[in-house]
Amino acid sequence: MKHHYWEAPIVIYLFLGGLGGGIMCLTAIMSLIVNPGTGSLFFVPMFFALAALAIGCFFLVFELGQPLVFWRVWTTATAIIKWGATLLVIAMFGDIFWLLGYLDVLPLDWGFLGAIASVFGGGTPVFATIAGIAGFGIMVYTGVMLSTLKAHSFWATPALPVLFTISALSTACAAIALSLGIFAEPTVALLAATEEIHEIIHVVDIILVCAEVTVLLIMILSFLGAGNVTQKAVARRWVVGKTAPLFWLGMIVCGLVLPFFLYVFGADSAASTVVAPVLVLCGGLLLRYLCVYSDERAEIPGENRYYNRTADPHAEFVEHWTYGENMY
Amino acid sequence: MTRYAMVIDQRRCIGCHSCTVACRTWNDLPLDIIYNPVVTEGAQGKWPHVHRTYTPTLCMHCANPECVPCCPTGASQQDDDGVVWVDSKKCMACKVCVNACPYGMRDTSVLGPRLHRFVRKCTFCKDRRAEEPGSMPYCVQTCHQKARIFGDLDDPNSEVSKLVNSLHTERLFTEHGTEPQVYYIPDLGGQR
Repeated sequence: MKHHYWEAPIVIYLFLGGLGGGIMCLTAIMSLIVNPGTGSLFFVPMFFALAALAIGCFFLVFELGQPLVFWRVWTTATAIIKWGATLLVIAMFGDIFWLLGYLDVLPLDWGFLGAIASVFGGGTPVFATIAGIAGFGIMVYTGVMLSTLKAHSFWATPALPVLFTISALSTACAAIALSLGIFAEPTVALLAATEEIHEIIHVVDIILVCAEVTVLLIMILSFLGAGNVTQKAVARRWVVGKTAPLFWLGMIVCGLVLPFFLYVFGADSAASTVVAPVLVLCGGLLLRYLCVYSDERAEIPGENRYYNRTADPHAEFVEHWTYGENMY
Repeated sequence: MTRYAMVIDQRRCIGCHSCTVACRTWNDLPLDIIYNPVVTEGAQGKWPHVHRTYTPTLCMHCANPECVPCCPTGASQQDDDGVVWVDSKKCMACKVCVNACPYGMRDTSVLGPRLHRFVRKCTFCKDRRAEEPGSMPYCVQTCHQKARIFGDLDDPNSEVSKLVNSLHTERLFTEHGTEPQVYYIPDLGGQR
């Protein structure tokens, strides 16, 4: 293996993309279908979703070799990352217009906020629908993008987009649970709706955590038992190798099992309403980290030994040579 | 129609890395980029019946490349003669093509300016052949063992065509369906 081509910025981008897309998707479902008229409760979650996508896009652009010409991503029609970038832009604009429609929720005594809200307020169902559909696309896209790269056999599996989508929804539930109802008017109806949505999100996240741990374990253990050489090597590293502590303790125990028990047995304690969602968010980030860094290719015989002997590009003598001190 | 391909005769390769050095020189590559590493397998076997195999590698200029359709900028392209290349003026170094290549034959240098990195790869010395029509890629010209043979696969009189059609050749990772256009005449463990 030469080196990792994609590193931490892509990990953060995939996590925040899934998180933001998931919040938008769940907000659209909750505020339009499950509990209509409760859009104002989702003002802060939707703001977090926008921030997550914006920060994710920043890291995506930062990772480019030429960040200043990022717009070239829309040059061709066939590339899957073009569709991802397009969905990100649509979702962010849908979210911005939706937020403008609820600006009057903010506890600020500025008259123009109400004026802006009255202009955009009528369109909030449309904006929520657009952001929700695009958000769903982003959730699925983050996994599909990796799974289309069939050179990396650990990524090239239909289970990965499923896993990423479930994880995105789960982290979105956690983020919504942490931020629902902030700034909303404390009316009886809205307080009751907040409570009701909290309960729904709570149950949905329990189901999603169960689904995620099931899909994750099936995927890893089937790779370990019946995968090809590369898949087995990665699965072995996850299960018993170098990343086993991160996988078992970080991902499975702290990111999934512990939140599950806190959700189920925590009642309305801080452990259930704060600690469990935070752990789910950390687990989601860890999942992306472990997956992105599992980018092994099938080895050309002798390839690994060759690259292990080449110099680190950041080695002192390489930098001295490159930047002129030893150049003939 | 012209279809460039390369045959690598592993029976002849002695692992001297001249092709790697020649490529580096002609293309003026940064130190962290290697277009055509010669990887070594072995030694295998038990004394005195031991052997090692040298596998000179390079971009396979696949007939069905993974790295071209995934490029969002159109920088990664394939000519009619089969040569796969990257237009550095269009590339933004998103590294999707680098991740798509099953052979790991593309990369970006981290030693250049931070805001002007682009994906680099072997082009079968497209520029050199354009400058001097009829000339060979520099790695082919440099190989004193004549282990690298380059030419038009569609020309029945070319050496590559004759070798591919008359000898047992192998290609790397054909299971990906990329139809690589670099053919190896295997070493067969020293059996000649």
